[in-house]
Parts: sequence; C-alpha cells; structure tokens
Amino acid sequence: MAHQDTLHTDFPEPKAEQAQGAHRVWDPFVRIFHWSIVGLFGANALFTSPKHDLHHYIGYTVAGLVAARVLWGVIGTRHARFSDFPPSPSGALTQLSDMANGRRHAHIGHSPLGALMIYNLLATLLVIAGSGWLMTTDAYWGVAWPKEVHEAAVNWAEISVAAHVAAVVFESRRLRVNLARAMITGKKVFTGGRR
Amino acid sequence: MAMASERVSLWTREGALAALILFQAICASFFLVDVLEDIRDTGHFSVLLNVELFANLGLMGAIVVEARVLWAMLRRQAMSDRALSAAQGAMAELMESQFRSWGLTTSEADVASFTIKGFSIAETAELRGSSEATVKSHLNAVYRKAGVSGRAQLVSVFVEELFEGPIGRGAKPQQPGV
Repeated sequence: MAHQDTLHTDFPEPKAEQAQGAHRVWDPFVRIFHWSIVGLFGANALFTSPKHDLHHYIGYTVAGLVAARVLWGVIGTRHARFSDFPPSPSGALTQLSDMANGRRHAHIGHSPLGALMIYNLLATLLVIAGSGWLMTTDAYWGVAWPKEVHEAAVNWAEISVAAHVAAVVFESRRLRVNLARAMITGKKVFTGGRR
Repeated sequence: MAMASERVSLWTREGALAALILFQAICASFFLVDVLEDIRDTGHFSVLLNVELFANLGLMGAIVVEARVLWAMLRRQAMSDRALSAAQGAMAELMESQFRSWGLTTSEADVASFTIKGFSIAETAELRGSSEATVKSHLNAVYRKAGVSGRAQLVSVFVEELFEGPIGRGAKPQQPGV
C-alpha cells in the first residue's frame, strides 16, 4: 500500500483530485430528497399493503420527488446538477482501475460509479411508480404485465439499494471520507487525504 | 506525465469485460430473486429448483472469476502505463544530462532532440521557426561536441545507453548446471 502510494504521488495531478479538508457538497434539497426516498421506498417495499391508498399516495409522492430531483438536476446547486456527474462508462472504469491499483482519488461531488447508481435508481423509481400507477387505472386493471414490471423493478431497486449501501461503506473506508455522514451534514470531510 | 489516473476507455478489453460482468450480474440477481421467491412460495427445495439454483451458482462463480480477471487486467494496465512513462521520463532525463555534459547550448540541445526524434533538417527548421542553414550549423556543433560523425551515431549514443543497463547486468557468465 505504502509502495503504491509513493509511486502515485510522485506525479502532479489535476487540482480537482486534491481533495482536502471539508467541502460543502450536498444542498438541503438533495439531502431531504435522499432520506425521503429512503423512508418512502422502504415503507412501500416493506410495510404498506399494495391494496391500500397509503401505498398509492406514497408512490405518487416518490414520483413527484424524483421529478423534482430531475428538475433540480438542471437548475440546482453545483454538485446536484447532472452536468456535474454525467453518465460516464470510462469514468466508472477509471474509478475501478483506481480501486484495483490502490489509488485514492476522492471525488468532491458524485463519483462516476456513484453517478451511474443514481441514474439507475432514479430510472428504476420512475418505472416502479409508472407501472404501479398503471395497475390502478381502469384500462390496465387486472392486466398481468404492469404487475410483473412493478415487482421486477422493486426487486431490482432492492438489489440496487443493497449494492449502493455496500459501495458507500466500501468507498468510505477506501477513501477515508464518511460518505453517509456527508449525506446528513452536507459536508464531505476528507481525512488524511492522500499520502 | 499525467499517468497517475490514466482514463480507461469503454472500448477496450477491460471495458468489454466490465460490461459483460454487469450484464451477467443483472441476470444473476434476477435469477436469484426468482429462486428465492420459488422457495418462499413452495416452502421447500425441489429438483427443478435445485437445477435453477446450481445454474445460478455457476453464473455467479463465473462473475467472480471475471471480476478477478478484470481486477488483474486493470492492475497490469496501470503498471505498464507507469513503466512506460517512467521509461519516457528516464529517456528525456538521460538526453538532457548528456546534452549538458557535451556543453550544448539551448538551441543546440533543441535541434539535437528533434534530430534524435527523427525530424529532418527542414522539419526541424520549421518546428523551431529558424532557417535550415541555422539548423545545419547547430547540428554540426552538436556532432562536433558529441564527437560523432552524424545523425546515426548521435542516435546510437542513446540506444547504446538504453541497452547497457539490462544487457550489461544480464550478461554474467553462465553458471554451468544451474
């Protein structure tokens, strides 16, 4: 580890990667959105009965929140904007390469892999809400496929959430940044940095 | 020299492998959910379920193997990038120190490095924004100071230097029977 890091810091790097100290990254909307989705999705996936109105209202709320988040992704604060974390397969591969080579490049905003997860989750939530809504309409009431799509998308969202949580723990330890705390306080605190 | 985090393009073997792993992981996760639901619904294993489960275990095993291969590929790629830049850096350093020891002026050193890189006199003149006559006189000074007869010998000074290390070290007398 020490050997790799020595090699790594022998060369100058782009400014953005020299993350040190505390950075205010997540605005209140992003944080409230995140934890609202956690609560509302968790409630609908685990607790509420799909037959009850509560399940539907929560679903509409999630759809509204995702729509607001998409809007915020265009007009919001710097690190909330989609332009700050465009979907980038090569960026994601580079992040994987960083992991494989023990290079600690902390990202101030979303990391490329994190960005892919965000797009995945936003899209999946919309599919869940859309198919769930179809099941309530007269035209699709009793039709099999909206239900199948709804259930498959929920399964996919649960798997994604598990992967998301595992990745947050892994990256927090690897980069020595408490990412979960940053989503509460809004600040990423880079401890130790790169040595 | 920004090789610390060389970008990895998607259109490489690494990218293709990563995409395949992602695809298989999606398949495996759906398969696994299906198996778990079947077990929950029926409350027991059946032969058919076991076949499904084993097929999925095979898939997941393949994912683990591929992930390890990808990991190794990414490491090897980064290492060769690093070695290449180290070699490039070392070559540039070597040239600079040799030019210093020959006592070349800045312009002469410039012309010498263009020449070693294979540019003709005309090209060098264009790149430096000077006349061919000037380049020629610089080049003659370089050859004189380096004590070489021409371009080929000038290059060979550095080629020799490159070979000296590994070959010199590797050229120990063979020990019989080892």
